[in-house]
Amino acid sequence: MRSLAIASTGMLAQQTNVEVISNNIANMSTTAYKRRRAEFQDLIYQNLRRVGSQSFQDGSVLPSGVQIGLGVQTAAIYRIGGQGNLQQTENRLDLAIRGNGYFPVLLPSGETAYTRAGTFALSPGGVIVTADGFVVQPGITIPPAARDITINAAGEVIAKIDGQAQPQNVGQIQTATFANEGGLEAIGNNLLLATPASGLAALAAPGDPGHGQIQQGFVETSNVNVVQEITSLITAQRAYEMNSKVITASDEMLSTLSRMR
Amino acid sequence: MNIPSYIVLSRLASQSRVTDVIANNIANADTPGYRASQALFASKLARADGAVARTAALMTQDRATWRNTAQGAMQATGNPLDLALSGDGFFLMETPRGERLTRAGRFTLSAQRTLVDMSGNPVIGDRGRIVVPEDIRSITIAGDGTVRGDGNSLGRLRVVNVADPQALIAEGSRLFAAGDQQLDPVRTPGVVQGSIEGSNVQPVAETVRMMAELREFQFAAQFIEREGERISATVDRLLRRR
Repeated sequence: MRSLAIASTGMLAQQTNVEVISNNIANMSTTAYKRRRAEFQDLIYQNLRRVGSQSFQDGSVLPSGVQIGLGVQTAAIYRIGGQGNLQQTENRLDLAIRGNGYFPVLLPSGETAYTRAGTFALSPGGVIVTADGFVVQPGITIPPAARDITINAAGEVIAKIDGQAQPQNVGQIQTATFANEGGLEAIGNNLLLATPASGLAALAAPGDPGHGQIQQGFVETSNVNVVQEITSLITAQRAYEMNSKVITASDEMLSTLSRMR
Repeated sequence: MNIPSYIVLSRLASQSRVTDVIANNIANADTPGYRASQALFASKLARADGAVARTAALMTQDRATWRNTAQGAMQATGNPLDLALSGDGFFLMETPRGERLTRAGRFTLSAQRTLVDMSGNPVIGDRGRIVVPEDIRSITIAGDGTVRGDGNSLGRLRVVNVADPQALIAEGSRLFAAGDQQLDPVRTPGVVQGSIEGSNVQPVAETVRMMAELREFQFAAQFIEREGERISATVDRLLRRR
C-alpha cells in the first residue's frame, strides 16, 4: 500500500502550505513584508511497466507504461515581490521605495543586510539608523544644528542648518538591486541577506535606471492580500482533508484484507 | 481448480495499485503543470502459453497508466516570469540528464541572469539559454514565446510537442522525458505571461473514484471469502456423503 505514504506526503505538503499562509496573515501589518507562497512538485515515479518496452517477442511496443508517482514535495517557498501600498506617516525619516531596490544596512556582525522597511530614526550620534539601531549605509550623519531634513526622490539628504542661508546636502542614500531578488535570504526583522543565488548587490542612487525612487514621509505596507490568503487557507484545508480521506480509505482496504478468513 | 478466487485476486492486486495512482493525484492537486494519471485495465487470458483456454476465465491486469492531457486551470499571478501555455506543447528545459519537457512555467532569474525553473534548470530558447542583461527593466513575453527586454528580442522560447503525449515518462519535479520521441516545434504556442497553469486534477472526480475503488475492493474481498466458504461447504458435504 503505497497510497498511505503518498497521502502522507500530500498532508505534509499542505501543512507547509498552511504554515506559509499563517505566516503571511501574521505579518499582514509588518512594514514592507512580502508575502510568500509555497510551491509543490511531484516526487519521483516508479516504473512498473516501462513505456516503450516490448510486450511480446514479435516486437510490439507498449504505447504507455504503468508509472506510479510517489507523492509530492515542497519545491520552494518564494517571496512575491509586488509593491505594497504606501502609507503616509509624516515622519520625516520614514522612507518608502517606489519600485525596485533595498536599503543597505550594516549589521553589528559587519555583514550588510538589505531591507525595504524604511522606518528610520536618528542614533544619539545623529546617524540615520533602522528601528533596530543598525546604520543605514553609507552612514549619513545629520549635523546637530540641522532644523529640517528633506530627502528627495533621488535619495539626496538635504538639511537646513541654523545660521546658514542655503540648505546643505549632507549625504546620499543608496539603494541596492539584485539580479534575482527571489534568491535573497530572509533573516527576520525585515532584513534580507545576499546569497550566491541572488547575485551581488548593484548599488546606485534611487531613480537611476532599474532603481526605484524614494518617497519621504511614507512607509511601504505589506503586500499581503487578506482575501487571497483566506481563500488559499480554505483550499489548503480542503486539500489536507482529502489527503486524510485517502489514508482512511487505504486503511479500510487493509482492514478488509485482515478481516478476510 | 480455484479459478474464481484467482480471478478476483488479480482484481484485488491491481486495485491496490489504482489506489496509489489516485493518492498521487490527490497529493499533487496543487502542483503546477501536473497531469492527472488514471490506471487502465485489460483482461488477460488465464493461459497465455498459446493453448486454447477451455474456460472463459479472464484475469484483470493494470496495463497502463493513462495521463489526462486536458488543460489545467490558469491562475493569474502577475509575476512577469510566470508563463503558461494556452494550447498544446511543453517548455523545453536543459537538465543535467538532458533535455526535459515541462508545462509548469514558473521561472525566475539565476544569479547569472539566466531564465531558470525552480530547480535551477535553464530554459532553452532558439538561440540557447535566455540571458537577461542587467540594465533591462521590463521583460515582456509575447504569445509566440519571444522574450523581449525593454523592447529588444532576447530569444524565443522553444515550445515543443511530441506525437504521443501518453508515452512521455514522468520524472518528478514537474519534468517529463521524451524518450525516443522526436520533439516537434509548436507553430502557435500561445504563451501567456503572468499566469501559471495549475494541475488538472479534479478533486471531486478523484474522491468519488477512490470511494468506488474502496467499495469494489471490499466487494472483491468479500467474494473471495464467500468462495472459500462455498468450497469448504462443498468439501464438507462430499465427506459427509461418504
